[in-house]
Amino acid sequence: MKIIKSLLMGASLAMVASAASVSYAATSGNTLATVDPEADRLALQSYFQKRFPKVQVEDYVNGIYALDAPSREQWQDIEEFPPYEFDIEEGEELFNEAFANGKSYADCFANGGIGIRQNFPRWDEAQGQVVTLELAINQCREANNEKALGWKKGKIAKISAYMAFTSRDNVFDVQIPNDDAKAAYLDGKQSFYTRRGQLNMSCANCHVAGANILIRADLPGPTLGQVTHFPVFRSKWGELGTLQRRYGGCQKNVRGEPQKTQGDKFRNLEFFQTYMSNGLVVNGPGSRK
Amino acid sequence: MKKTISLVSVLMMVSGGVAAQSFDDAFNSQRAMYGKGHSFTFEGQTYITDHPEEVAAAVEANADNAAKLLAAAKEQHSQVVALDFGWTLTKGLLKASAKSLADGDFRKSMDTSAQAQYHARMGIAQYHQSQAEWIMAVPQ
Repeated sequence: MKIIKSLLMGASLAMVASAASVSYAATSGNTLATVDPEADRLALQSYFQKRFPKVQVEDYVNGIYALDAPSREQWQDIEEFPPYEFDIEEGEELFNEAFANGKSYADCFANGGIGIRQNFPRWDEAQGQVVTLELAINQCREANNEKALGWKKGKIAKISAYMAFTSRDNVFDVQIPNDDAKAAYLDGKQSFYTRRGQLNMSCANCHVAGANILIRADLPGPTLGQVTHFPVFRSKWGELGTLQRRYGGCQKNVRGEPQKTQGDKFRNLEFFQTYMSNGLVVNGPGSRK
Repeated sequence: MKKTISLVSVLMMVSGGVAAQSFDDAFNSQRAMYGKGHSFTFEGQTYITDHPEEVAAAVEANADNAAKLLAAAKEQHSQVVALDFGWTLTKGLLKASAKSLADGDFRKSMDTSAQAQYHARMGIAQYHQSQAEWIMAVPQ
């Protein structure tokens, strides 16, 4: 019965997604020559504005809580005593802790690492790849002869949470400076809209066409503004986790083998998804169900 | 919202009924309704609702055949993994098939291998379909 319910749910979402594809069928944007990140961003904003005309664009940083009033009330109650509060404090201590060589994270980042979350992920020309904040944190450690941290939770999530906290209200400004960066963006865009796993679902099935539509007892959030509040303290996890931890969880949910955390695919996906939220403010860390 | 989904579903069904049905559509709907081993007619020809992997597994259950099917399933699984499109249950099925083979339960091993190979084949098909169709889901 559980399987049947899952399949029916998948089929329903597939129908909704197919309907969306009929209304919004693309005629360009799947090659390096035709992809236009800014047009993609505006089209996505326009899509959500048409579906939820009463919701202000800037409120999308609150995810599903921008769309569903009862969920918002519960979330606001939780945020009165934020479950990530101690993680921010611990993150600050970790951030300021000197490495064995006497240097610290502040030496690796612009502005001493304070108030810079909005610039990540960024295209690094020298490395020829997208660099997420978590990758930059670990690269900083390795450059100072420290062991890299695990990617998904724990210390890295706490340091990232502190850095996000110091960047609150700064406006996301992810740049795509050249064709190599654009290729990474296109790869991320393709990943976002590509169906995977036994349930044959893409990120977009839940977070574009399926946003605010029940999947069993859960309401998926809109992709617009989805990255702004990461890392998040999820009640399900009972702890803080990074965006890419969530990516892996989503892929498992659709019964697909998760891709590599901080591998090219996930970093490019984060690049695309964050570009879509350009113009919105950093409000991480956040709390979610 | 529920009403919207229902309406979309009905419209999809109506439009599906009007359009000419492909063999794959006919096969999949018959398979979904009746399971394996059911015969149906498509454009004057009679077909059985068995997947190719099930047909391959419908041979004598012995150690040699079970080992061959398991090897074929592993080979197809390695192909879908190379495409980064593996499904979560497949590894477990391969493991279960190997255990059944080791335990001497050849029929179970062969049926489980068939299921694993089917998963892998569908993952590969999903990859190719996604490459061609993902752009259709992008809002413009």
